[in-house]
Amino acid sequence: MSKYIVSSSPHIANNRTVFGIMAEVLIALIPAVVASVYFFGFYALFLEILSVGSAIGAEALFNRITKREQTIQDGSAAVTGLLLALNLPASVPFYVPIIGSAFAIIFVKMLFGGIGKNFANPAIVGRIFLLLAWAALMTSFVKPIQWGQGEAFKYFRCILRGANGFKDVAAVTTATPLENLTKIGVESKELMPMFLGYIGGSLGETSVLALLIGGVYLIVRRIIDWRVPVTFIGTVAVFSLIYGAATGHSASLVLPSVLGGGLFLGAFFMATDYSTTPNTKMGLALFAFGCGLITSLIRFFGNYPEGVSFAILIMNIVTPYIDKAIKPRPFGYVKKKSEGGRK
Amino acid sequence: MKFTFRRGVHPAGNKEITKDLPLEDFPTPEIVSIPLSQHIGAPATPVVEIGDHVSAGTLIGKASGFVSANVYSSVSGTVKELAVKRTQIGSQCTHVVIENDGLYEEATLAPLSPVTAEGVKTRVAEAGIVGMGGATFPTHVKLSPRTPVDVLIINGAECEPYITCDYRLCIEKTEEIFKGVDFMMLALGVEQAYIGVEDNKPDAISALRAFESDRIKVIPLVTKYPQGAEKQLIYAITKRVVPEGALPSDVGAVVDNVHTAFSIYEAVALGKPSYMRAMTVSGRMVSRPGNFFVRNGVSYADIAAYCGASEETVKVIGGGPMMGFAQADLTPCTGKGSSSLLFLNHDEISDGDKPISACINCASCAAHCPMRLMPMFIERAVDAEDAERAKSLHAMSCLECGCCAYVCPACRPLVTSMRRAKKLIKEKGV
Repeated sequence: MSKYIVSSSPHIANNRTVFGIMAEVLIALIPAVVASVYFFGFYALFLEILSVGSAIGAEALFNRITKREQTIQDGSAAVTGLLLALNLPASVPFYVPIIGSAFAIIFVKMLFGGIGKNFANPAIVGRIFLLLAWAALMTSFVKPIQWGQGEAFKYFRCILRGANGFKDVAAVTTATPLENLTKIGVESKELMPMFLGYIGGSLGETSVLALLIGGVYLIVRRIIDWRVPVTFIGTVAVFSLIYGAATGHSASLVLPSVLGGGLFLGAFFMATDYSTTPNTKMGLALFAFGCGLITSLIRFFGNYPEGVSFAILIMNIVTPYIDKAIKPRPFGYVKKKSEGGRK
Repeated sequence: MKFTFRRGVHPAGNKEITKDLPLEDFPTPEIVSIPLSQHIGAPATPVVEIGDHVSAGTLIGKASGFVSANVYSSVSGTVKELAVKRTQIGSQCTHVVIENDGLYEEATLAPLSPVTAEGVKTRVAEAGIVGMGGATFPTHVKLSPRTPVDVLIINGAECEPYITCDYRLCIEKTEEIFKGVDFMMLALGVEQAYIGVEDNKPDAISALRAFESDRIKVIPLVTKYPQGAEKQLIYAITKRVVPEGALPSDVGAVVDNVHTAFSIYEAVALGKPSYMRAMTVSGRMVSRPGNFFVRNGVSYADIAAYCGASEETVKVIGGGPMMGFAQADLTPCTGKGSSSLLFLNHDEISDGDKPISACINCASCAAHCPMRLMPMFIERAVDAEDAERAKSLHAMSCLECGCCAYVCPACRPLVTSMRRAKKLIKEKGV
């Protein structure tokens, strides 16, 4: 045994770790979590805690049963759990985040080999699974609460039966701006509430402001590449401008399209997952463009008012092919001689 | 205009420990063990026998081929034995063990006069000069390029953390370096030379500027690792790109280290062969860090004793922390490539800092690779023993500079994987 540590170069490293990256993402999500509590009360926090707990628990259990090394300390399960919770309406019963997170972790992440090996974003697929399994629960959105009027715990009434826990369901639910977009239009006075988050929608998606704070933080800390959110959101904006021009809405669709739905949550936090997105800057830009395009197509031409999740999932599937098509050329790259030229 | 390359990393420099300590002669111990393989290429053949009396500058090992280098005694005294010992890079080679008589009688080669191109080339080969930056490639080979060259680049980047010996040479031996560069330009028949120094060394730049001319220009380089890597340096200064698998001379450039220029000056003008060099001893675990002229064959144990290395030292590195070799013990002895010896504590190294986990596909390694490779895919290819895939991912172009492993949040041993990939490609012959 040597007295000194003998290991291969390099002998120094920067201080970024997997846990550090996940912690930065969690920090970046704090504004969205605060916003979710501000707009939907403490039931939002309750759902978020359940979801995170379920994600971590499912991963821990899976590792235990399959006798693998424990991986929950890397923090990625917590991120998946929180992202899934932020994708849920504020009125889902307690079992929805528990089942959704466990499904996401086990079926989308761990069965593919764990962190870095999954081809699709677990939180996205978890949300889509829930959407199919509990379509009604997942598409009924409740109104933001009024603070100071005893509503802080209002939505705990949803704990067992969702919005049906209320006698007058219609009184608590609301349409999302996106649902109204092409049907009755969105008035310009509704834009500021959309930016701040004072609208119906999923827990973490309504406040563009909160997501923007967290998203810019991630870009500044170099956790995510700015190309993804900028291209994704930009593509949606351009598409809605073109669609608006073609259908006589002119530019009025642009801001509601950008501010509504899960676009900011998706663009900053879901389409930037490392495992499931391309490895080159060009590839990321192409990926984000595809996300924006598919989101717009679903929104304007599909049956669903929202298409961010499906768009990201589809682009997740395309990612390996993007990586195959767009490879960085090494420094000093020489074009290979044709096959005939080989010995 | 910024003189730099794309990508790379910014490790903490830690040069303040030794940068203001002038070069001093390291007190040579009573016994020196001079390795006969201090260079890339075939080891030198011993030409002395036990009991022979030698002077500082007596040939003790003869170059055994074109890519090989002569080895000279660094002290005067008596040859005690020829012993196989471990070198700082971990390989075994014959060492000539000499008992130092303390007189330092010198044997010099006749100073060249007149100085001709052929004369310089012959002298460089004769004097056993190799790349003093640490790569130790025989310099006479570089001075005989297979294609005509038009520019000589002198590497004073010193981009590895801690190391300051080239910096001290630039300040203290400025004129000698310029004279050496002149000899090299003559040998190569080039009319343009550049001396590149990272811009975190303003004192070295201003010292060199005092001798600057249109023929020999001083270039302040952006401080970034690996600015001193040959291909990156050529690009930074001339914007020429060395094609994959080609040599710098294929784009008309030759790169040599500032210390090499200094050694060439000594060999040509003073007739002094290569047997000592400037070396930095640094790290938080030495009480007496410094920059020293160290004769070849001084054991690391002697250096540790003189510089006050602590018993608490956790890691000893021959070379810099990005590309240097961790030492298992202090038996290796200095040679022409010994640019530094570092005695480090836990806080200075990354071992154990990061938990090793699976690759999370963040592509940081690719984003920082100065050769624009995709280390994470190469690692996967070599894990699958897929030599063809590793080759198609250009694993052979890897510099082993360590940027990938430096940034990897999952602490993957990427450089080791790159080495494995190269070995696999060679073994399978794809």
